[in-house]
Amino acid sequence: MANEHDQPEPVVVTNGDGELYGILAEYDTPGELVAAARKVRDAGYTDFDCFTPFPVHGIDEAMGIKRTILPLLVFGGGFAGLCGGILLQWWANAYNWPWNISGKPTWSIPANVPIAFETTILLSVFTAFFGMWILNKLPQVWHPFFRLDRFARVTDDAFLLGIEAKDQRFDLEKTTALLKDAGALDVERCFYESDPARKHMPKWISAMIVSSTAFALIPFAIAAKARNSHSDQPHIHIFPDMDFQPKFKADTASDIFADGRANRGEIANTVARGALDADELFYKGKENGDWTQGFPKNIEVTLDLAKRGQGRYNIYCAPCHGYDGKGVGPIVRRLKDGGGDWAVRNLVAPPWEPGGHVVRMPNGQLFNTISNGYATMSGYASQIPPRDRWAIVLYVRALERAANALQGDVPRADLRDMPAPQQPTIAPAGAAGSGSGSGSASGVTP
Amino acid sequence: MSALTKSLHPEEKYKAGKLGGQMTKVGLGIAVIFLGVSLVLTIAGSADPNSGHASKWARFFHAYVIGWSYIFSICVAMLWLVILHHLVRGRWATAVRRIAEAMSCAFPVVFVAGLGFVIPLLAGYEDLYYWAHHDAHDSVLNHHLHHKLGWLSPGFFAARFVIYGVIFSALASYFAKKSRLQDETGDPKISETLRIASAPAMILFSVVTCMVAFDVLMSIAPKWFSTIYGVNFWGSACIGGFAALALLVLAIQRTGRLTRSIGPDHYHDMGKWMFAFTFFWAYTAFSQFMLQWYGNMPEETHWYKYRLFGDWQWVSIAMLVGFWAFPFVFLLSRWTKRIVPSLVFFSVWQLVFHWLDLYWNVMPSYDWLEVGQGGVMVNAGPLMGNIAYHHVGFSPVDITVWLGLVGVLIFGIGRQLKGNLIPIKDPTLGLSLSHEVM
Repeated sequence: MANEHDQPEPVVVTNGDGELYGILAEYDTPGELVAAARKVRDAGYTDFDCFTPFPVHGIDEAMGIKRTILPLLVFGGGFAGLCGGILLQWWANAYNWPWNISGKPTWSIPANVPIAFETTILLSVFTAFFGMWILNKLPQVWHPFFRLDRFARVTDDAFLLGIEAKDQRFDLEKTTALLKDAGALDVERCFYESDPARKHMPKWISAMIVSSTAFALIPFAIAAKARNSHSDQPHIHIFPDMDFQPKFKADTASDIFADGRANRGEIANTVARGALDADELFYKGKENGDWTQGFPKNIEVTLDLAKRGQGRYNIYCAPCHGYDGKGVGPIVRRLKDGGGDWAVRNLVAPPWEPGGHVVRMPNGQLFNTISNGYATMSGYASQIPPRDRWAIVLYVRALERAANALQGDVPRADLRDMPAPQQPTIAPAGAAGSGSGSGSASGVTP
Repeated sequence: MSALTKSLHPEEKYKAGKLGGQMTKVGLGIAVIFLGVSLVLTIAGSADPNSGHASKWARFFHAYVIGWSYIFSICVAMLWLVILHHLVRGRWATAVRRIAEAMSCAFPVVFVAGLGFVIPLLAGYEDLYYWAHHDAHDSVLNHHLHHKLGWLSPGFFAARFVIYGVIFSALASYFAKKSRLQDETGDPKISETLRIASAPAMILFSVVTCMVAFDVLMSIAPKWFSTIYGVNFWGSACIGGFAALALLVLAIQRTGRLTRSIGPDHYHDMGKWMFAFTFFWAYTAFSQFMLQWYGNMPEETHWYKYRLFGDWQWVSIAMLVGFWAFPFVFLLSRWTKRIVPSLVFFSVWQLVFHWLDLYWNVMPSYDWLEVGQGGVMVNAGPLMGNIAYHHVGFSPVDITVWLGLVGVLIFGIGRQLKGNLIPIKDPTLGLSLSHEVM
């Protein structure tokens, strides 16, 4: 309709307030508004809109508004978020800066799902939110209908239909009659100033913008001055109670106490942490100044203790030393698979063959290595309590025995699970293929 | 001309009439035929020595637990819809609520059917739940399980099962009876009473649903741990439940009933729920998987090890694509939920995959492993073993038992389809009839 060139140019109607923008009709109920919208649509009008205090069912169809394309945009946004999230993680973790963390793969889909999920949601929501604003041509701070007092009631109880004068079909008398025929309570004309040259921003708004911009520059000006000048004044303390806290630091002076020290000595009848660990054998693995060959008296060597040791070993030691103790744990394997040289990183493969140095080590020295570390290996005293460290020592002895076992040592029933009899493995190290399978079938190993 | 409320069309056929009777006959027929075939197949068959089960009934009972969980889950989902509808003062579902009430009232029949595996358990059957096996008491072999055997014992299990049945049947019948009472009296206060009752009912419902999932399904692999298991089961259940509701509503409309009251906007909302739970199920399933995969502790990962490697990995991939990705992408559109053939297709599709989900949960734990200990072979249950021994090992009994129990469910729902098929005097009915999805 809008493209029919034989139509005459609409007559410009003006009054003292300016040019005619359009007419606004009020209806009593949402139902009447919907019916009127249908009539206006059927009469061929396109530049009209309805204004209601709440969403009215069926009005889109009555006005001839097509379904929004927003869902498709949101789908596109979500899909872009999904791909972008995965790409970001691949680029950061696997391509640009691959980093070995406990021998885990640098690129693994399950680990990427939560972030890909979040980016999908994020871009979907952004597309929905900003897409809605853009498609609705928001934000719109002013509209000619705002000039009519009636329009203020549109957020309360008014059901309004406005037709713009620029519509090809618009004719002041006929259009007014059409709206009245549809049951309008009243039809009002709306005039506005169409000449852009006469649209002035109020002076107080201009003044506000200039002054607030000037205020916003003050912090930058202070920073610039401070960087380029010298001052003998003390620092400005924005949070003085944070900068000067009412407490003493260790080994500082204080005039509160008679001895002039902030430190207070040991309080009577208390014991400092670790002060009671006097049992050299239990806490240090030493007997008469030398590494012990046996176990402390309060450690009972039982199957349960060995199993405890197995559990601790698999948690703390196996990532580097391997489940079988042969020094090829997931981290080492990963390093070698990636072409790295483990000797360069100071990772030493423990020589486990009969007569190797671990075999020659006394129990006490093993305990000390677990506690305080050796070469690249750091100490585990803070993670593993002493009793568990002794349990690991016991399990390492069991691994040592198993590494030198013969086929005759294996119970008949367990031979079934073994891939080939020549390989004297204790337990299958990891599941087939990936690091996501379980480790050894703990519990069944007799 | 749209209106905010509508009244029931004067020519609407909303009486059930003979519909329920026909459904019970069809359901009974299906149940007798398929359960009969299953029994014949089982009796004629022989025990599978590779499965670690001494009894040839093991497959039948595993399939029975899957089938029972399936029909139970559909009732659970519909009870949830009824309670939720009252809790949030829902509007759209009033038109389909009576049908959902009828479906949830099948609980007594479902729980009686459940005795089919609970009674053998009580009688000492050992090859369904490993915790009921005498080797489960071996404290060296089953260190973790040993501590659970107080809770997981046949007598206590059966007692809990009866309590669950009573709670669910009572909840469903309370909401349905009050609603039918409103048909007669038209008292709007009944809606208020039900709304107040729905809040504690929802709490009770959630707790008991999780407990049924833990007891009946999760204890199939009794050495495994997952706290989100019940939520995940409920998510899967709601997919099946809303799919079944949509199909039942459409079937009832084909008999000429309710054709003017329920339309595309109601289909749309049932489809939306199915869609929402399709995502919710994937979300909880991944939450369960993610933590165990990341933690990588053998006592948790063994459960996934069977499912993600070997033959079962293809079933897992089928679940990911078929139960989530495919329906998720296609149910995004409003039209796939509003156009009847499309809604029927996705409902049937999701009902099949809901079964596959339960199958995937139970059947990988069917293979038990015997291990040597001190020169004697003892049964270690579904925990141990090499994945190379695990095969999908499909059996026709898996399908026939499932279909037979679906027959039982149809029978149970048919018994409840009587009187009015729509709550004619519910204060929100007008809003539901004029319901429009924008």
